[in-house]
Order: sequence, then C-alpha cells, then structure tokens
Amino acid sequence: MGLIPNGMKRSDLHEASQMNEMKVNNSFLNTVSGWHISGDNVMIEQMPIFGGYAGGAEETAICDVATTLATFAAFNGDIHLDGPIHIRWGNTTAKDTIRVAAHVACAMDYNTDVLLANQYYTVSGSGTEMCLLETAAQAIADTASGRELLSGVACSRGVAENRTTGLEARMMGEASSAICGTDVETTNKILNRLIDQYENKFATAPPGKTFPELYDIDRSVPCDEYLAVYEKALATISKCGLDF
Amino acid sequence: MASRKYVDVFEAYDRFSEGDRIPEETWDYQIIPSNARLMRERYDINFSKTDIVPTDADLIDRLFLAGVDMLMTTGIYNTDFSRVLKLDEDEIYDGLKMAPKKLSIGSGKEKVKCKARRGNSMRKPIIEGGPTGAPVSEDVFEALIVSYAQEPSVDTIVSGVLNSVGRHPAVTNTPWEIKATMAEIRHVREATTLAGRPGMGI
Repeated sequence: MGLIPNGMKRSDLHEASQMNEMKVNNSFLNTVSGWHISGDNVMIEQMPIFGGYAGGAEETAICDVATTLATFAAFNGDIHLDGPIHIRWGNTTAKDTIRVAAHVACAMDYNTDVLLANQYYTVSGSGTEMCLLETAAQAIADTASGRELLSGVACSRGVAENRTTGLEARMMGEASSAICGTDVETTNKILNRLIDQYENKFATAPPGKTFPELYDIDRSVPCDEYLAVYEKALATISKCGLDF
Repeated sequence: MASRKYVDVFEAYDRFSEGDRIPEETWDYQIIPSNARLMRERYDINFSKTDIVPTDADLIDRLFLAGVDMLMTTGIYNTDFSRVLKLDEDEIYDGLKMAPKKLSIGSGKEKVKCKARRGNSMRKPIIEGGPTGAPVSEDVFEALIVSYAQEPSVDTIVSGVLNSVGRHPAVTNTPWEIKATMAEIRHVREATTLAGRPGMGI
C-alpha cells in the first residue's frame, strides 16, 4: 500500500462543478484556486438542463456555450466537461440533449482550440441492449462534433447502486473509434436510425442488472449472457449504418 | 477596448464580491430565460429537426457568438454572494487564448495526451471509463473499477461514489465524506494496478 498515493496526482483530472444555470459558489472557487496554483489538471463540469431555467434546445445550447466559455475565461479550467441533461428523463442520451451537446461542441470546436468533454447518463440499466444503444448514439455524436474526451457511463441515470460495468465504456470507445472520420451527413443518418431504436422506450426502460450479476468478479470478466447482449447491440448499430 | 489582464479565479472572486446584487430567484426565473430567449432571437438560432450534428456552418458560428454575447450580457452568478461577475469580450477571448490546447493525463506507460481535435478527426477522443459518479458499494468497488481499467479502449478512469467507508455512511458535508473520497482514490489506484495499468489517470 505504501506505493499507492493517498490522494490525487497533478496529472489526474481534478473535477469541480458549476451549477445550473450559469452559477457557481465560493466552495467551487476555493477548490479550483488550490488546484490552479498547484499546477493540477483542472476539469470543470456543468450539466445544463434541457427544459429547465433556460428553456428549449436553442436556449439551453446558448447557455451551454456561455458556461463553457466561463470555464476558460474566468475559472482557469483546462478542459470543460459538458452533459446537457433532459429534465423529464434525467439522461444525456435523448435526441434533444445529444443535439444540444453536438451543436455546442461544433460551435466551440469551429471557433476555438479548447478541450471539450462530455459525460454519459443513460435511462436504461447496465446489461441491457438499450443502454448500449444509448451509449453508442452519444459517443457517435460527441466524436463527430469534435469533442476530445468522453466520460462514462452512468447507467440508470447514475442513481442506482452497482449498476455500471466496464462493458458500457467499451461500447463508448468502440462506437467512437468506428465513427472517426465519417462525414456529417452520414453520421446524422446513422444517428437518426439509432436513436429511433430506443427513444420511444424511455418510460419503460429496462432497469438491467447489477455488476455482480453481470460479471464474474473473481476473474473480472463479463458473463456470457452480457457478452451476447453486447454482440446483439453491435449488430443493431451495424444495421443502422456504422461499420465496426 | 483591450483587456488589462486575463481573468483568473482570484480576479473572479474579487469581481463577484463587488458585483451587482441580485436575488437568486430573479436570476433563475427571469434573467436566464429572458436573456437566452433574447440571444436566440438576436442571432436567429433555430435547430434543424433532422440534423443532430449541425451541418449549417453559419448557424454554428452564430451559436458561438450568441454564447459569447450571453456571457457578456448576463455574467455568472455567485450563490454565496448573491452577486454577479461580468466579463467583457476581450477578457473572454483572452481566456480562450490562455486555455491549454493539449493536456497530459496519467503517468508512465499509461500517460495519454488529450489534444484538440478538429471536426470529426480520424484521431479518436480520450475514453474516460467509469461509473461517472454513480453510487458503488464498498464490497465491489475495486472489482468494478478493474472492469473498466482492463478495457483496451479505456484510457483513463472516472470514479463512482463510494456509499460508505468502513461500513459508515459517507454523509455529505461531514468528515466521513472526506474519508470516503480518500478511500475512493486509493481503491481506484489499487484497481488500475490490479489491471496492470498503475499509471492510469483518474
């Protein structure tokens, strides 16, 4: 244990959060100031609420751009972690919230060289095809819109205990790699087909299973049942037009 | 007008402490929605129903300018001071110039470079795998993080929230929360080490 540092290293990402919408508090300022003068990597997050104080998609996106700018223009952030979230479903993978994130990323990417990240909250639970499809859709949009870092996945809206696993992150990485370099028109066709597979199922989204139910914990490997679900999700995404 | 100096977090604090005082309800329910609506109208921001990733380059530029205007016009609110920080246009652009264009995350063999991409570049983004703040129980915490650290496509780890420490609930705003956070970091380090990737950034 002596070799394991009892805290964060300078080279880790130190994360602090702005509040909804376009707000901070002194705790945030104090935390960031310590990291900044220590030379730590600082990642500042904010998850604008689609349908919240700002209003609809366009207004949410405008607030999102302003918030992203504030990370760099006032708070010494090194990278901004986004995450437009749907007020009704509590996810980042709805068509509306993915659209907001993609427009904001493009607006920042076309006009600046700053580093942009996005985070993942699905409605459905770990171990389900729907969760993997939600994850893939956002990863495709984030990658195609120029983001530099993808962070996830908090399945079941990030509120259920032990309901996330490494396989969802594998999907995030595989979908991202597969879409790299694809033109925007093709990307939009894939996205519309893919999101149609799950968007009308949010109200009845499957809760999935827990990590101990989906993995052999002693060997750290996913169970055959979950691997089969993963393969099925890859096939569904391929039918939507993404070549793995 | 040229800015005197770029705004850092210390200057931001000073501006908050002397900014205009506004009730938080006014900020949330009047200023944010009315200014966002005003910017939408001023810059003619309307999204296409079919474009999830935008194809209209002019719309993309107008959205950026609307965001700059929103920040200049509205500012940022501090809930402790109930006051507003204001920035001018030059200060916003100076902040963008100061922002890093690349970042090293992690150490040793697991160090990754997060560099600015341009559009849908062939270079994939950094993949930060983990529960992303979702709650995780003590009994499976390290094993669950190993499941991410062992994935070849995962470059760095984002932690979950340890529900308890030594079976004591990690109650928010108590010393137990701090103890649990420190335990969380140690568990993540141990998990990345078990996966053979001890230098992974977290």
